[in-house]
Amino acid sequence: MIPLTLNACIVLSAVLFAIGFLGVLIRRNTLVIYMCLELMLVASTLALVAFSRFNGTLDGNVFVFFILTVAAAEVAVGLAIIVALFRRRQTIEVEKLNALKD
Amino acid sequence: MPITLLQTLAATNDWRSIAPEIFLGCLGLALLGLEMLLPKKEHGVIPFAAILGQGGLLIAVLAGFHHAADGPAMKTFGGLIQHDRIGEMFRVFFLITAVLVSVLGAVALAKQRMPKTEFFAIVSVVTAAMMLLVQSNHFVMLFVALETVTVGFYILVSYTRTNPLSLEAGLKYLITGALSSGLLLFGIVLLYGVGGLNGLKGTSDSAMNFGALQNFLAQNPDNFLAAAGIVLVLAGVAFKIGAVPFQIWVPDVYQGAPTPVTAFLAVGSKAAGFAVLLTLAQVFSAYAPLVTSVLGVMAAATILFGNLAALSQGNVKRLIGLSGVSHAGYLLLGVIATLHGQVLAQGAVIFYLFGYLLASFAVFGVMTHLAGEDDADQRREHYAGLGRTHPFLAVVLAIGLGSLAGIPPLAGFMGKLLVFIVAFKARLYWLLAVAVVGVVLSIYYYFSWIREAFFEEPNDPGATRQPARTPVGLIPGLVLTLLAAASVLLGFYQGGLAGIIGLR
Repeated sequence: MIPLTLNACIVLSAVLFAIGFLGVLIRRNTLVIYMCLELMLVASTLALVAFSRFNGTLDGNVFVFFILTVAAAEVAVGLAIIVALFRRRQTIEVEKLNALKD
Repeated sequence: MPITLLQTLAATNDWRSIAPEIFLGCLGLALLGLEMLLPKKEHGVIPFAAILGQGGLLIAVLAGFHHAADGPAMKTFGGLIQHDRIGEMFRVFFLITAVLVSVLGAVALAKQRMPKTEFFAIVSVVTAAMMLLVQSNHFVMLFVALETVTVGFYILVSYTRTNPLSLEAGLKYLITGALSSGLLLFGIVLLYGVGGLNGLKGTSDSAMNFGALQNFLAQNPDNFLAAAGIVLVLAGVAFKIGAVPFQIWVPDVYQGAPTPVTAFLAVGSKAAGFAVLLTLAQVFSAYAPLVTSVLGVMAAATILFGNLAALSQGNVKRLIGLSGVSHAGYLLLGVIATLHGQVLAQGAVIFYLFGYLLASFAVFGVMTHLAGEDDADQRREHYAGLGRTHPFLAVVLAIGLGSLAGIPPLAGFMGKLLVFIVAFKARLYWLLAVAVVGVVLSIYYYFSWIREAFFEEPNDPGATRQPARTPVGLIPGLVLTLLAAASVLLGFYQGGLAGIIGLR
């Protein structure tokens, strides 16, 4: 079994963050993009808790609560926009959302 | 945790020092309460109440300005917030922005069948968050304030929720904004982690505090993780100011958002980004070579891209958005100059922002009056014949665009001159050359817009239908006159503002 080291946690969170970031760039469905955005936030949270644990400082653990609150607010507003848009346009595929142009 | 530690922290909670922000938050709630209490036919007073509240607060902050700004820099709330001269100036800046956005909002919302109160409430809350953002001295405060601003803007951009274009703009802003928040957050986490890492010099218990972080970075000037964190944080902020390569959202979001919100994004959000950047440039000063090269490449690309892309735009909201991208590039020059030890550079950036505020709101004010039912459809052809039918609006437009283009003797010219002087003193010669090319390019599209207003006639009244122009009311007319007059006056006489900013 691999011992739980700081490096292992940071690498894991960096990989999760990269998956989320690439997902935002590559995926076509808005809801999946939104899940990838949340994955990025959660990856940051994981790194934060790991640093807090191994450095023995408290700030990181406290910051996590703020991030959770902010993410919840973001989801509430974001899903509302997605639902309203789906009602108007009957689609949330990004390549079909191209009405804004010169 | 010992109770005495909590007590000493709580002793620094000076609630009076953030009274303006608290007042704005309460104003937002009070407006919502007013809507519930007043009968429906008296809802017309709500915009006036919002403008009155924000304007009264602006006067109060101005009255106490010297008392607050001339004292020593003060840290409150356990080091979360720092009160200093620059923070106080940005407070004034954002309050002016809020009043102007509310005035434009009252004009624009009158044309829509939409709930109106929430607009003013959210503008108040977002303004309070911006004011806290520029005064933050700790990454937790910075992140939470920035997110409050961003989430508020998601709602404002998609405010006309019956219009699919506004919703599409909201979704695009949502995705890019959340992406930038993610980058910023990961950067903060890396800086926090490396700043407390066992075995390094100068580590701290609270590495998210700007002072502690600056101290740590100064003692570890070549740490890879810290460098990665700095680049990620800069990328997150670059999204907010719309710098290349993080400008992709600008044209679409500016086009789809209601015009007052576009103005708020162009002026308020950008100024907030630059205020943060000015603070962070000091915190990251130990990594000046890295920060300078990142921001330098970004500035050159931003100036060129913004101006070249704006050349071919026929929709004036996209045009003003892309020209705003290029303005962010000029401002980046000033930020880079602060890293080269130019003491006047901060003042130059703030002066530029004030000139940009006056000119932008003059232009957006005219745009609000010319917009029809569909807010996203504002083409340059709609301005044909404006000089003959509405000479007042046309003159205000010409002064605003001239100031944005940097024509002497308007305020925009003085702002560009000051930024270019500090950049010259900092020996940023190649960036200056790019900036001058950019200014020359920008004259073309600004002036073809002015020419359209003064020298063109609507060629075929049937083919390109112009939306009905809103008559100019008393308060918006007064505000537009003030903006245009201030743009001219500030070009001739900078003494007052320059003295306050600390340019001499």
